[in-house]
Amino acid sequence: MTVTASHPYVASLLAGSTAVPKSPAAWLDARRAAALERANALAVPTTRDEEWRFTDLTPLTKLQFQPVTAAAAVSAADIAMYAVTEAAARLVFVDGIHVPALSQRGALPAGITAELLADGLKTHGALIEPHLAQLASGESDLFTSLNTAFLQHGVFIHAAKNASLQAPIHLLFVATRKDTATYPRCLIISEAGSKCCVIEDYVALGDEPYLTNTVTEIAVAPNAALCHIKVQREGGQAFHIGNCAVTLAKDARYLAHAVTFGARLSRNNLTVIQQGEGAHAQIDGIALIGGRQLADTHTLMDHARPNGSCEQSHKTIVGGAGHAVFNGKVFVREGAQQTDSSQQSRNLLLSDKARVDTKPQLEIFADDVKCAHGATVGQLDAEHLFYLKSRGLPERQARNLLTYAFGAEIIDRIPVPSLVAQLERSVMARTEAGA
Amino acid sequence: MSTVLDNLVSQPYKHGFVTDIESETAPKGLNEDIIRMISAKKHEPEWLLEFRLKAYRHWLTMTEPQWPNVRYPKIDFQAISYYAAPKPKLKKSMDEVDPELLRTFEKLGVPMHERAALAGVAVDVIFDSVSVTTTYKEKLAEVGIIFGSISDAVRDHPDLVRQYMGSVVPAGDNYYAALNSAVFTDGSFCFIPKGVKCPMDLSTYFRINTQDSGQFERTLIIAEEGATVSYLEGCTAPKFDTNQLHAAVVELVALDDADIKYSTVQNWYAGDEHGVGGIYNFVTKRGLCKGRNSKISWTQVETGSAITWKYPSCILLGENSIGEFYSVALTNHRQQADTGTKMIHIGKNTRSTIISKGISAGHSNNSYRGLVKIGPRAEGARNFSQCDSMLIGAKCGANTFPYIQVQNPTAKVEHEATTSKIGEDQLFYFQSRGIPTEEAVSMIINGFCKDVFQQLPMEFAVEATKLLGLKLEGSVG
Amino acid sequence: MINSNAKTLLEVRDLTASVAGVEILKGINLTVRAGEVHAIMGPNGSGKSTFAKVLAGHPAYTVQGGAVLFEGRDLFALASDERARAGIFLGFQYPVEIPGVTNSAFLRLAYNTVQGGRGKDELDPLEFDDLVREKMKMLEMSPEFLSRSINDGFSGGEKKRNEILQMALLEPVLALLDETDSGLDIDALRVVAGGVNQLLTPDNACVLVTHYQRLLNYITPDYVHVMSAGRIIKSGNKALALELEERGYDWLLDAKKAAA
Repeated sequence: MTVTASHPYVASLLAGSTAVPKSPAAWLDARRAAALERANALAVPTTRDEEWRFTDLTPLTKLQFQPVTAAAAVSAADIAMYAVTEAAARLVFVDGIHVPALSQRGALPAGITAELLADGLKTHGALIEPHLAQLASGESDLFTSLNTAFLQHGVFIHAAKNASLQAPIHLLFVATRKDTATYPRCLIISEAGSKCCVIEDYVALGDEPYLTNTVTEIAVAPNAALCHIKVQREGGQAFHIGNCAVTLAKDARYLAHAVTFGARLSRNNLTVIQQGEGAHAQIDGIALIGGRQLADTHTLMDHARPNGSCEQSHKTIVGGAGHAVFNGKVFVREGAQQTDSSQQSRNLLLSDKARVDTKPQLEIFADDVKCAHGATVGQLDAEHLFYLKSRGLPERQARNLLTYAFGAEIIDRIPVPSLVAQLERSVMARTEAGA
Repeated sequence: MSTVLDNLVSQPYKHGFVTDIESETAPKGLNEDIIRMISAKKHEPEWLLEFRLKAYRHWLTMTEPQWPNVRYPKIDFQAISYYAAPKPKLKKSMDEVDPELLRTFEKLGVPMHERAALAGVAVDVIFDSVSVTTTYKEKLAEVGIIFGSISDAVRDHPDLVRQYMGSVVPAGDNYYAALNSAVFTDGSFCFIPKGVKCPMDLSTYFRINTQDSGQFERTLIIAEEGATVSYLEGCTAPKFDTNQLHAAVVELVALDDADIKYSTVQNWYAGDEHGVGGIYNFVTKRGLCKGRNSKISWTQVETGSAITWKYPSCILLGENSIGEFYSVALTNHRQQADTGTKMIHIGKNTRSTIISKGISAGHSNNSYRGLVKIGPRAEGARNFSQCDSMLIGAKCGANTFPYIQVQNPTAKVEHEATTSKIGEDQLFYFQSRGIPTEEAVSMIINGFCKDVFQQLPMEFAVEATKLLGLKLEGSVG
Repeated sequence: MINSNAKTLLEVRDLTASVAGVEILKGINLTVRAGEVHAIMGPNGSGKSTFAKVLAGHPAYTVQGGAVLFEGRDLFALASDERARAGIFLGFQYPVEIPGVTNSAFLRLAYNTVQGGRGKDELDPLEFDDLVREKMKMLEMSPEFLSRSINDGFSGGEKKRNEILQMALLEPVLALLDETDSGLDIDALRVVAGGVNQLLTPDNACVLVTHYQRLLNYITPDYVHVMSAGRIIKSGNKALALELEERGYDWLLDAKKAAA
């Protein structure tokens, strides 16, 4: 493999990708090589690209990030505040590298596996091959291609047929070092009739610039249910780019909860394809930002088969000179009759410099469907504010309470109480600080 | 799709005849000589020729927009004739107008004789590249209103034209606006002076007749302080199996307390059921609410054209100014429409309303694309948007692309969109209550569109209802 | 009310019908005379709803064979709107929602079209308003129904009341009520059934399609027919419905299998 990127910045990011050791599977090495070729040919997107119209990556390209070869020393106490007490297992990655000492593999029920991708390739190679770097192929996406080119320290989660685990599996990614680039990778395969819950959690111990470029691939088989929680609470100078590709088979259920608090610049791409009839998705998102943060969420709900349904609710609370971007596309293909899809984008602006760009889109090519979307941008409801004040609450407290309630509506739907409590404390702290 | 619905959405175009009239047509192709020729033919002042040439030179550096959700083969701009005018030359009075032209417009139901006119509507009639007549011109002049062709206005009121032309849509605004600025041939001009409420609706009727010509008209409407005007625009074209390009520019300027209402019923030839022929309708329409409390309201019923690309927009600069956009867009067969609006809120307490109803049938593709932008200084700005789609049959597409950009925390923006259908079940429900299919369709469509039809002036509302009827009703199997 | 001298309204002979190439009705025979209430019961998928829709002329169903006479006329010679004007009324199990078209405009158009078809005078909006308000009282409907779009955002109970309101206005000769009781709570069921009872006269007739016996506590049928696999496999009186309630459908199906 040689590095011959057409774009100098991409070349600098790719430096080190050749050092990634060979994987246990030849097909994976081939896919990595292909991804490297693609990354070489691609440029960093600019605001002239419709998909990146409001998210300017120039600050990212001004920094030089290097891949990490060894994890920094992190103690259990350092990350104690992020503990999810309900978790059945916890895998901890420091600067992208797995740290067994901090992880708790737990006693998972029969049929549930949560392990390193490298181990998974040995035990479940045939199962992984059709999915890994296939669901998220990254044909034209630089960041997915970069992630695949660096694919090494991944996670493999597997729920075998009819296996069920109520408690969540917690994947904790801890960033500690300046000017590093990490490439977390998750593959989740939920087989027929199974049920499980996975938390992807991105945190930082410092406040220096770094890049997290993550890719998650998810396949949910017939009648299986997956709850997927992504919490992004990176450091204030961080860049976070996440791509998640989900495919749903017949009558599969996918419940997504995305929480965005951190990073100077973050971008979340979520693509859900309903490949089987009657699949259901619920997609919740909340971004609470301030300062000079930019939080960009792009979602694509692709209704490829009949009788599918999706409920999506994305909220943003923007203070300071924050900038929230939402682009949600609902796509109903020809023949996907009886689709029932709804999407709401609700945005709260808290300050003069705050800014929101939202674009909910419908593209419908079947006539017997129920699709609706709505978007609002505004302030707290004056009536609600008056009501609270008339009961004796001072203006500021009333505002904080309502702002908190606006965000809590999404957070409260996360089915992990200890995580909800952590997140609510953060929301409270941030709303009191004026977000 | 059932045969009932199939028959229902397959109605022939009624305005597809060609008038056999001798035309003076410029040689095909576009270059500075052609532009100089157009300008010379119209005895234009030097500044206007400069305006054209500047626009042309800018156009040469631009590329066609790729972002609209429409597909068509590359246009050969050198294969188009940029000037076509019926011979003999323009006559001073109506009685001298070519009888063949009179018959054409009679057939289209456009009144060119004042005595035969619809009561209270003044009409400017544009045939290919030139304005052939304007009715009620003198009566309007009595109250100080200037209404007529833009060529006449350039000759008679050059300072007014120079002051406002290009002030809302700059010559280099976009690819088609630049092309129009270089080669526009005629169009309507109206000027409503301070404090005057225009006593009648003003109307322009556009007709493309020549096969290989494009139509590039330019309309400019100015309402001074406290003035009000309601302006109507209608368009048809003959059936040809080639595509004609229509790239118009419309500029509206409303000063303090002025009110402009602009209504369009667009029924250019849409091509046949296989998508052969039809007009490419690439139009830039924009209104500037320059003054305080000014208001610009766009209402459009778009049923024709092979491809429609237009976004009648409002720049809400004056405090408390109001922008409105009411639209019905119907596509059938292989038609493609990418239409919507832009509401740019700059001033304080500006308000806008968007009501868009898209109806897709056959293999057509109908997109709403709209921008609501609230600038940092637009304290207290409000927008409400409602964008509904109706699908008739399973082979068509309905898309909604709303862009909402807010940079002021006191703004309030609300957008809603829904989809519905006319299918067998809906029609059967009506039938089972004794209501025949045609009446059922007309009732459902009218119900779907009523928020927009209510905005049209009475005569136009009737015409629009009939037009949608023609497009959708018919021989029921 | 059974009166064997009453006029025959509906005569169904060996009716077979299919949807999307699958035969659903496999030979139905039924006679309905004026003044009678018939209940058609049967398990899900037995074809009872199909039967009602075929009589009303739903375009998704194709009549394969047999004949249906309505007041002596060939029913299948009439388009569905002509059937409605002739006096057939279908109360839908799932009434469609039609946004944008107000209930009042729709009801008046339907009323005037059907009245016109019977050679009667049409009502102007004011006269119609009086009439419809009176009928709505009977069904305990609030006047704001009139200004709402057809069934748009209606609850299940509201939709069914709207169906019976239409029946009250159109005064059909033969009402086919398809699962009118489904999705109704007990109060709504009482109101809807009460409305239907008030509309029954010695000159008209009603066919109730229902899965459960519960509706028949409120509307007493003269005949009860059990459908299975596209055929009427047993007919009886109200006692049959009670027996079905108690024993389910299986014993009948088993008995039929044994007989075959």
